Formats: sequence, C-alpha cells, structure tokens
Amino acid sequence: MKNLIFIFLTFFAISFMANPLYASSSENSVQTYKVAQPKVHVAKSISKMFSNFYKTTGIYAFLNPRDGATNALGEPLSKFAQGWGRVIMILITFLLFYLAIAKNFEPLLLLPIAFGGLLANIPLANIIGHEGFIGTLFDAGIKNELFPLIIFMGVGAMTDFGPLIANPKTALLGAAAQFGIFGSLVGAVALSQYTPLFHFTLKQASAISIIGGADGPTSIFVASKLSPDLMGAIAVAAYSYMALVPIIQPPIMRLFTTEEERKIKMVQLRDVGKIEKLMFPLTVLMLSILILPESTPLIGALTFGNFARVSGVVDRLSGTMQNSLINIVTIFLGLGVGSKLAAEKFLIADTLGILALGLIAFAIGTGAGVLMAKVMNKFSKDPINPLIGSAGVSAVPMAARVSNKVGMESDPTNMLLMHAMGPNVAGVIGSAVAAGVLLSIFK
Amino acid sequence: MGHVNLVMEGLKFMVLGMTTVYLFLLLMVFVLNIVSKIVKKYFPSKKLRPVYMKREAVKASEAKNDDAVVAAIVASIQQFKKQN
Repeated sequence: MKNLIFIFLTFFAISFMANPLYASSSENSVQTYKVAQPKVHVAKSISKMFSNFYKTTGIYAFLNPRDGATNALGEPLSKFAQGWGRVIMILITFLLFYLAIAKNFEPLLLLPIAFGGLLANIPLANIIGHEGFIGTLFDAGIKNELFPLIIFMGVGAMTDFGPLIANPKTALLGAAAQFGIFGSLVGAVALSQYTPLFHFTLKQASAISIIGGADGPTSIFVASKLSPDLMGAIAVAAYSYMALVPIIQPPIMRLFTTEEERKIKMVQLRDVGKIEKLMFPLTVLMLSILILPESTPLIGALTFGNFARVSGVVDRLSGTMQNSLINIVTIFLGLGVGSKLAAEKFLIADTLGILALGLIAFAIGTGAGVLMAKVMNKFSKDPINPLIGSAGVSAVPMAARVSNKVGMESDPTNMLLMHAMGPNVAGVIGSAVAAGVLLSIFK
Repeated sequence: MGHVNLVMEGLKFMVLGMTTVYLFLLLMVFVLNIVSKIVKKYFPSKKLRPVYMKREAVKASEAKNDDAVVAAIVASIQQFKKQN
C-alpha cells in the first residue's frame, strides 16, 4: 500500500517534470536552476529527491507513525496520536464546523476553536510549537491568561447591569446556580476515587467543574491556571453546553416548577439612574478587593469594561471593547484554545469524563437556581417567578431568554426577560467569585 | 493520593466556595440597597420631561396624522437635542 502510493506520487510528479528535465539535460546538473542556497548543495538523484520529499508529506506522516516522536512542544507522542488519532481529530473538528455552521452553536468561538484544532493536528508543520503561529498566540495570551481577561472587559462593556441594580436580591439566584460548579467538582473527584477510568486530581476536577459556571472566558482562565492540558476539552464542553442551554434547561425547569408557579407575574422593574449604574462596578470591585483579591483580574476587567460603558464619556473606548477588541481577541483565543485539540491532548478518556461532568454541572446549576427562586418566592413580598432562577447560570443572554420562553409557554403575556437578566448577570459575577475561590485554594 | 479522601476534600471545597459566593453576593445586595437609598435621598432622578409627550397629543396625532403636528414634534425634538 505505502509503496504503491509512493510509486504513484513519483510517477505523477515526474510526468509533470519531464519537460524541464529534458530542457536542462544538456547542463551537467538538474538542480542548477534552483534558487541559490546558502549551504553547499549536494547533488542527488531525482528519485532520491522525490523519496525525500515524500517523507515530508502529510501522507507519509499519517501512514508512518514513529516511535519516540515528539510534538512541537517536545512532549512524547504515541503512535496512535500521530496516525489515526490525528485523522479522528480532524473528523472531530469537521463535526465542530458542522455544529457551528449548520446548528449555530456559539459559532463565534466554536469555529475558530475548531479551525485551530484542525491546524493543530497537521503533522510536521509544528503550528502549535513555540515557533508556530498558533503556539505564539497561545504563549502570548492564553498561557498568561491575558485573552480571557480582555474578553471579560468586552463582556463588561456589553452588559447592562440595570436589571440587577433594580432588583438586587435576584443576585442570590446567581449565587445558587454556582452550586453546579461545586456539585460537579464533588462528582469529578468521586469519579476518580471510585472508578478506575478517571484519575482527576483536585486541581483538574476544579478546572473541569468551572464549566458549570457557564462562562467561557472564566473556564479558560481557570483551566489555564489549574490544568492547561485539559483546556481544549473544557473549552469545547463549556461553549457547546452554552449553546445547548435552550435544550438542557427547559426540562429541568419544568420538573421543579408547577404550572401556577410558571404563571407568576413579577413587578415591573424600576428605572435605574446613572449614579447607581456608576456606583455598581465600583461596589463590586471594592467587595472583591476586600473578600477575594484572587478574583480581581476577572472582576477588575469586567468592572472596568462596565465602568467605561456607564461613564458615558468614553464611548469610543467602550465601543472598541465591545466590538473590535473583543472580536480580535476572540479570534486569537479561539485559535489558541484550538491548539489543545491536538490528538494527544484530546483523545483521552478524560475528555469523555469532562463532557459528562460539564453536562451534570449545567443541570445542577439550573436546578439549584430554580429551587432557590422557589424558596425566595415564599419569603419575598414581591412575587418571584421560579423560572428566572435558571438564568443564574451565566450564559448571558441565552439563559435569560430561555426563562422568558418557558414562561411564555405557560402565559404568553408574561415577559420575564428583564427579570431574568438580573440573576443572569449576577451569575457572571458569581462564577468569577467561584473561580477566585478555586484559584485561592491552590495558591 | 490514595490515603486522602478526595470526596471529603471536594465537599470542603463546596462548603467554602458556596459560602464565599453567597457571602459576596449577599454583601453586594446589601451595599446596592444602601446605595440606592442614598441615591434616592440625595440625588433624586431628574426625569427628562421634554421627551415624554402628553397622552392627548399622541392620540391626536395618531387620529389625524396631522402634518403640522408631526412637524411641530420634530422641531421640538430637534430643539431639545440642541439644548442638550
């Protein structure tokens, strides 16, 4: 088989090369018409040249995995990861393309991640090495956690915290939904303790569980600090499940609520003035400085973006953060994270565990949010529709839209969207705080 | 790793984490309520009255679709924008 392909390739190439070969045959060497090379050129027979060239092709690399080969970063590669592993990963990236393009699954991130994954699985090109362009992007902004923070800045500049300021107690729903993070953390360590299949350390389990925060940049931020090798699977799981929020959440929301509860109408939100909006980012930042300095990179970037937005005097800056800057960084972040989709990093049993745990984390978070909202409804003087609790798992604004949609199924006149935005944006802060706690434990 | 009970460790993380998250957001709710009280007391919101049109005016313009009224509204909005 290999020889056949080789012979075919050689024949194919020679048949195209025939004319220049004859034309230059009067001169003493075939190679002389090549551009000047710095090294002394050793004359080789044409068949030798082709066989050398064949050894630099992808076909050869796919078909002939070597023992003791290393990837671009100098880590050892198994034969499987060099051959079939790469083929499987390339197919997986095609599946991700399909999900991004045909199913519209968070395409803004999934598409660059998948393309980065495709490039990462090209043999011999070393794109993900320290000299390769994706490797350079990774070193420039993911290894040092820069890109997720810039994304967070943009998220801050895009987010209107008005609904939360108007009804602050809904922030507690954003807290309850973080239960998904810690619930799946326990799940992850239980899996590694009681099954022989997985061996997650506490660090890895923490990095995985943050998927339950339903917040892409936070997941990448924590993964890059606690467990960089699992980052590819964590990012893919986080963004896929965020895209799947409209499918994952509604059954859980219906399970925990009654028809009457879903029909509860909430009191119209009050107007929020500029001073309060200006005070909000400062308040949050002060609290995180006092309680959890470990999360201040995330919270600091978020509040800076939001402060620029509400200040009203730096529209150019906030506009840049919301558009050009976040777009540029999304490209870099996606491609960089994609480098962790290399076969040797992704095709391991751990990935399946991560995908399963991520789903569990989302489910627990949704359930905890809804139950918390039910409890609050019992004690609050203004009614609270339990459906807005599920929006506490960040995933802005998808989760809030899901609350609105499920609410309208029971009562088409019940608009929950703005009410759900409160817990939704509180969830972003909640997962940043949870991330800070996890990071501070391992400090 | 064998002698450390990972699940117990995980549960400890959970208690610490959930306590912190709740504490943080409770404090936030508390401070936000105080801020809103202070703002209401010392900086009552000045409603931008000129942008709100009277109900009758809206009804009248809807009913008649009077060009003169529309022109007047456009002029007043432009005037308002110039002032601000």
